[in-house]
Amino acid sequence: MIWGAIVGGLLGTVVLTTMLRAASELGWTRMDLPFLLGTAVTADRVRAKAAGYALHFVFGIVFALAYYAVFAVVGRAGLLLGALLGLVHGLFAGTALVNVLLPVVHPRMGTGFDAAGSAPLLEPPGFMLRNYGRQTPLATLVSHIAYGAIVGGFIGLA
Amino acid sequence: MRSGGYLPIRDYAAIGDGRTAALVGRDGAIDWLCLPDLDSPSVFAALLDEDRGGRFVLAPAVPFDAVRRYLPDTNVLETTFTTGEGSVRLTDALTLPTGGLSPYRELARRVDGVSGHVPLSWRVEARFDYGGPSPFVLRGGVPIAARGADALAVLSWDAGTVELDAAGARGVFTTAPGSSSLLVLSAAHQEPLVFSTRNEAEARLRATAERWRDWAAGRAYDGPWRDAVVRSALALKLLVFAPSGAIAAAVTTSLPEEIGGGRNWDYRFSWPRDAAFTLQALLSLGCGREARAFFSWLLHASQLTHPRLHVLYRLDGRTQADETELQLAGYRGSQPVRVGNGAAEQLQLDVYGEVVAAAALFARFAGGLDRDHARRIAEIADLVCDLWHEPDAGIWEVRSEGAHFTQSKMMCAVALDRAADLAEAGHLPANRLERWRAESGRVREFVETRCWSEAQASYTRAAGDDTVDASLLLAVLAGYDEAGSPRLRATVDAVRRELADGALVRRYVGHDGLAGEDGAFVACSFWLAEALARQGRVGEATKLMDELVALGNDVGLYAEEIDPGTGDFLGNFPQGLSHLALINAATAIAGAAR
Repeated sequence: MIWGAIVGGLLGTVVLTTMLRAASELGWTRMDLPFLLGTAVTADRVRAKAAGYALHFVFGIVFALAYYAVFAVVGRAGLLLGALLGLVHGLFAGTALVNVLLPVVHPRMGTGFDAAGSAPLLEPPGFMLRNYGRQTPLATLVSHIAYGAIVGGFIGLA
Repeated sequence: MRSGGYLPIRDYAAIGDGRTAALVGRDGAIDWLCLPDLDSPSVFAALLDEDRGGRFVLAPAVPFDAVRRYLPDTNVLETTFTTGEGSVRLTDALTLPTGGLSPYRELARRVDGVSGHVPLSWRVEARFDYGGPSPFVLRGGVPIAARGADALAVLSWDAGTVELDAAGARGVFTTAPGSSSLLVLSAAHQEPLVFSTRNEAEARLRATAERWRDWAAGRAYDGPWRDAVVRSALALKLLVFAPSGAIAAAVTTSLPEEIGGGRNWDYRFSWPRDAAFTLQALLSLGCGREARAFFSWLLHASQLTHPRLHVLYRLDGRTQADETELQLAGYRGSQPVRVGNGAAEQLQLDVYGEVVAAAALFARFAGGLDRDHARRIAEIADLVCDLWHEPDAGIWEVRSEGAHFTQSKMMCAVALDRAADLAEAGHLPANRLERWRAESGRVREFVETRCWSEAQASYTRAAGDDTVDASLLLAVLAGYDEAGSPRLRATVDAVRRELADGALVRRYVGHDGLAGEDGAFVACSFWLAEALARQGRVGEATKLMDELVALGNDVGLYAEEIDPGTGDFLGNFPQGLSHLALINAATAIAGAAR
């Protein structure tokens, strides 16, 4: 079952990334999760993208393992339950994880506490990431629901 | 300075970063900027609609005179405003990224107080997507405008308190001797905005000037008109789309060839036709890297349409160029404003000659062609054998009925000759060599019997026509025949007699399927100078070149056309072909004079 979580996490992250990228191409959002994550470790744009994608997939598997723990506790797993967890995950990401926690730990992201300094700052995401475009909450939630459904589905199959 | 809200085209200067470019007016207003790329929709387009287009105004709030220049050997613009209160210096650049986290695109405007206390005002009216409303909001004191996947922030230091109104973001401030203020427009596309610190933005501005100087220092030209040649090289470099290596024909769309007329086209595409001129210019200036990138792009972009060549390609290599009209007022009421280019679908036979000639130039530079490129050039030559007898739209992309344009046929002969030469040198497969030579002979027979007028003592615009056309000068430049052959000598004289107006040369006088007239074509004027030089008439060429170099604007840039009567610039600006022709004419004259 744990392999289901790992495979589901990988595939779910592929789908989530693809959906967010497509939303970006369609002009719905400026959200770029690999860029946001990668710039936490390097200021070099190219390296940031590479590192960001790697981190993104690691986090995708870590979250899938957390889903796995939830499924183990409730004693069942599947697409629908996974999608529900994905919805909660998406809401958490938009309200707390990316909106509050990431700016606090990200060395290059602006927060309300920043004053004139020496480092360049990334635009903070704002509540439900709306600073990155009005459709960003929708794109984030839908892509996380898809991620959750895939993770839930694979764990259920395994 | 402005009339009806519009500056003369010659009052603009271009700045750029190899991905996009902006036009800065003599009065400090940036009236044209597309983001994130040169061929993206505009965020500032007051050039095409002074009311709705959007602009970035930065100028003294009192009457002023302006003198400007590029910082030597750079694409960084410096405008000095002199007022009754004192003077200030404005430095504008689209910065080049350095190490560290740079904005996706960055426009930096630094104001240095020189003397006195000068009040200045600035105003940013962002209008994404060709005039679309894009209101600013203040986030953390920074004005931010966003639309879809694009956003921009206005960062300012010592430039007054930022205020927002319905039109945009604005501020006022006063300079003092030695004071320095900075305004930075940070733009993002499909990613969060990057807010730089002042130190970083200032450092990038300095580094940008340094990198342009380094690039210019590497240009190998020490002949006459060096300033004009280096400026042209820098202008061309602004048109090189660095992500792909493509070279755009111009920075703008729909600057009119006739004020108030409808000859308004989008030139933010790359024309394979310009390939040979481009490679010749790049190689003569020692721009081997750019030449290699452009040739690779050319063959990569044309891969999907191979062996047919589209007339133009998008800068990213795609072929879609659907022509649509925008709801903008147009430069001085010149409508329509078009994006996309309907000429993309035309058959223009001369393109094949230019591309094969470019391959020959590249093979000489690189010592050969790789196997895939060689195969494709050979297949293009095969196609020319099948196509040359068809009527086409010609180099001037006429929208009237197709015709057997002489220059198109001549370039078909050049394509076949160059291919055969390459095959003989072992750079192309040799199995079709005889066919290419034989077909070239048939093309030449057509040209010599059907496209020569005894009455004009010249080759004609088209078979059965009796007028001359400036494109015939290209027969000399492309090596259709010996430059000094009697017929080419006579043709050059006929073009001069029939189409020259002072130093300037018109393209043709015949019908082209469009209403109205256009001005004199700058490239044709330089082609005449080059043709004279190649025919050994160096004195005439030098005199003409002196006159043409004096017709550039105050910072050495050229549009597509010049009105011979008024000297006004017409058409898109700055125009790559004009600058290519200047470089090639200067190098040809310098070579002939040695």
